[in-house]
Amino acid sequence: MKAILLILFASVLAVSCNNEKKNSTITDEQKGDSVTIKPDNSINPFDPTDVSPMDMSYFPVDYPQLKISKGTTEPPKARIIYSRPHLGGRRLFQNLLSYNEPWRLGANEATEIDFYKDATIQGKKIKAGRYILYCIPEKEKWTIVLNNNIDSWGLHPDTSQDIARFQIPVTTTTSSLEYFTMYFKQLNAGAELVMAWDYLEARLPMSF
Amino acid sequence: MKKIIVLLSVFQLIFFSLLAQNSNIPPVDKSPMDMAYYPANYPVLKIQDKLTETLAARVVYSRPQKAGRTIFGSLVKYGEVWRLGANEATEIEFFKNVKIGGKKINKGRYTLYAIANENSWTIIVNKETDTWGSFKYDKAKDVVRTEVSVQKINMSIESLSMLFEKATSGYSLIIGWDNVKVALPITF
Repeated sequence: MKAILLILFASVLAVSCNNEKKNSTITDEQKGDSVTIKPDNSINPFDPTDVSPMDMSYFPVDYPQLKISKGTTEPPKARIIYSRPHLGGRRLFQNLLSYNEPWRLGANEATEIDFYKDATIQGKKIKAGRYILYCIPEKEKWTIVLNNNIDSWGLHPDTSQDIARFQIPVTTTTSSLEYFTMYFKQLNAGAELVMAWDYLEARLPMSF
Repeated sequence: MKKIIVLLSVFQLIFFSLLAQNSNIPPVDKSPMDMAYYPANYPVLKIQDKLTETLAARVVYSRPQKAGRTIFGSLVKYGEVWRLGANEATEIEFFKNVKIGGKKINKGRYTLYAIANENSWTIIVNKETDTWGSFKYDKAKDVVRTEVSVQKINMSIESLSMLFEKATSGYSLIIGWDNVKVALPITF
């Protein structure tokens, strides 16, 4: 009996250690200790690759993959296109961002959110269409701004084209994310747009 | 004893679900996404108030790297539909109606595919958007197929590259990778 218990205990330990190891692998990647992309520093007369690579996230989560694996025919509800700056040894609010000053929530081209159908955010109806997003960070809260100046560059947002502003709390996380990350997460009713970088995370819930 | 086993399996379940939760955070892609506009550099020109032409087109694509491999005729097989990118299907959006290969195309979003051959490529404009690669490519949803000739270039481009260039009538989508370049003419 004791021997069996010992074996089982050991197996749990093994699982938990294994788990820790896998977790720390993920964290290291996120931290950039092992960079997940090989930078392309070669000469490119067409278009050099960006230091802050672009990325895309859909809601429903992984919509394009669902479409090919499950034959989903219902159109997606939302999509975000953003560029992913990385810390590169810097700290977010010591070196990169300032409180109360607009932050482009990305890099290069302005971060774009595309609602394929009307959405509701904090009780406000947002019409289907393309918008850009930026943020005014404060210590305890972020103001997420939806703006009409699409197809623009992220710097110097034209506030006269703001559509709506949403205040959301910002929380601290236990591990630091090397690359700025945005993605949609499924909620019981609707989705939340998760925005995370370094030790900070903010979530903007929305419904469709 | 049974209780202990049940308890332990519950622990294991919790550990594995924690693991799964952590991997929800999207890592950086090996083939990073990029976009190109026509007019070229439209977003920068827009905030600098230097635009001389209205917005015409945008391509959003992912950029696989050569990484020492032979690309054309090997990684990209001749005569087969190729996703012309990586990950999410390559998207082209026309903000005005255009003509490609003599066919009128209404403004809107489309997916681009290609069939590469040694001396020419077939460029495919397809209606199925928001999809992944060319795994579920459906010929019935083609809007146009057009042949473009391959130009060999005297260097090797590491990352798949796309950009728009002004042409005598309209503009061209330039696609380059490895030692190959093609131009897709787009007219108004």
